Amino acid sequence: MRSSSPKRSSPTLRAWLFLTPSLLFLAVLIAASLLVLRMSVGTKGAEWSGFSLASYAQLLQPYYLKSLLLTLRLALISALIAVLLAIPVGYTMARLQSPLLRRIFLAAVLLPLLVNLLLQSYGWLVILGPAGMLNQALKGLGLITRPVMMLYNENGVLMGLVQTAFPLAVLPIASAMRGVSRSYEEAAATLGASRFQVFRQVILPMSLPGIVTGATLVFAYNASSFVVPLLLGGRRVPMLAVMVHDQIAPLMNWPAASAAGVVLIVTTLAIMTLSELFTGRRRRRLEASQ
Amino acid sequence: MKDISASGSELAREDHGPAAKNVSNVPVPSRASSLPRGGRKGDFMKTRMLLPGETGRFASTLSWIILLLAVMPILTMIVMSFSGASNLDFPPASYSLKWYQAAWHTFVSPDSSDVLSLGKALSTSLWVSCLTMILATLVAVPASYALTRCEFRGKAVALQLMSLPLVFPMVVLGLALLLIFDSLPFHLDVSRLVIAHVILALPFVVKNCTAAMVSIGSEVEEAAQMLGASPTRAIIDVVVPLMKSGILAGMLLAFIVSFNEFTVTYFLYNIDVMTVPIWMYSRTVSSLDPTVFSFAVLIVLIDFALIWALEKLVGEGGVSF
Repeated sequence: MRSSSPKRSSPTLRAWLFLTPSLLFLAVLIAASLLVLRMSVGTKGAEWSGFSLASYAQLLQPYYLKSLLLTLRLALISALIAVLLAIPVGYTMARLQSPLLRRIFLAAVLLPLLVNLLLQSYGWLVILGPAGMLNQALKGLGLITRPVMMLYNENGVLMGLVQTAFPLAVLPIASAMRGVSRSYEEAAATLGASRFQVFRQVILPMSLPGIVTGATLVFAYNASSFVVPLLLGGRRVPMLAVMVHDQIAPLMNWPAASAAGVVLIVTTLAIMTLSELFTGRRRRRLEASQ
Repeated sequence: MKDISASGSELAREDHGPAAKNVSNVPVPSRASSLPRGGRKGDFMKTRMLLPGETGRFASTLSWIILLLAVMPILTMIVMSFSGASNLDFPPASYSLKWYQAAWHTFVSPDSSDVLSLGKALSTSLWVSCLTMILATLVAVPASYALTRCEFRGKAVALQLMSLPLVFPMVVLGLALLLIFDSLPFHLDVSRLVIAHVILALPFVVKNCTAAMVSIGSEVEEAAQMLGASPTRAIIDVVVPLMKSGILAGMLLAFIVSFNEFTVTYFLYNIDVMTVPIWMYSRTVSSLDPTVFSFAVLIVLIDFALIWALEKLVGEGGVSF
């Protein structure tokens, strides 16, 4: 940019100098992931010196494979549900006029994301418990006679996953929809489109990059979700992140934990890259067409 | 959080941030001018027609319901903290403040059976959060300066790196940091938590500072330099004060993230260094004790106040993730 011209020192050098302090912290993160990678090919008892792929082979055993598939399935379903719920919320958020309502709205969106997941899981325990809110409501409506078990199974975990990751879908979608100028909607309406048609054929396609980003974030976040399956699933919904912890805490099997961790990193980075490729191309096309 | 995927293209798009904001304001006069037409229609149809671009009643009702569901666990917890019963039935059979009394009692005179008092956990938590806030801001401000004002080789990589902690699996981060800290020859206390929390908070702070800096034209800085300020002085005396609200927003976010962090801390804590979330978990691991709800309400109140202040600082819709 313009401001770099009057500087004497090389702009690249200067920029990296400014970046150094934060890169030091990120270096810890990268060193950490490399360590995990190294340890995943170690052997139990000789984590630093041994070499074997046994930990990865172990991940192919039915129990671990089932856990991996369960993790991917729950992450995928929760991403779909969260995005479906986030589309109307994001649209309303992008178009709210009153400043006060907008602040309340944003605070309500941010709370589930920022408030300690542990506390929210306690709330879910009360809602989903055998004598909890949901069972009482269903009983009151006459839909069930005996309490339905919702805790410690996949349904309860899924609800918790959707709720805690929901803001991650709303924020990019709202920001994408805010970027769709109202003049497009006005033009479509002038040409005779109904409100639903405007939404379906103008707003949705134009905010698709935001929707994809939201879905990806929810997927990545939930694939490595730890607190929600730990509290709402007990030991019955062994998602991968819980297994990583179990391998350490009672089993002291560092290589196995690391191998599961590497699988988590690879899954997350792969899905982020795919989404980046998609949204990048889509965004360029949108920008070119505007 | 993360409109985030702060990729090169994302940030490039944000360069238009202020401009886009202005553009979105443009329809306002045009709407005003179209109001008479809407008014005429109103005479015919009794109810005011919704203009294109306004949310219909269906969509807005639906989204308020969805939002209510999203905060339902938090609301439930608040109601439960006033319960007079000792079980988790909802709605509670009676209401009382007895759990708040019990919580206060735990706070002022901790049981000897507790491994650690709440007071100590709370002071550790606040200490860690404040250190995280300050450190994260100190490293993020120069970084965001480089990311907005400088064109340099490797910028795309730097941008990707800055948003990496957002998508990095927290369990793996906890596991890896535990490996590193345990293999160090010396012992780290609070700093092991602070290092972890700064890594987690960094993307939030960088994103907010970048957004604040983008909206300041580089001409103010050039003017300062023309008047004889050195480049560094220009940054410290001109740019930083102008982006104060963005920096404060980043600081608040860093504090909130650190104060509420559980997963990574769960791997790294020990008996001497325990934060409030860990203290709560250790209390409830065997059975859920309603006193926890009263503590939880306090934490939620703190969070809400911080979020509210955050929105006030940067204006609605201005919080960047």
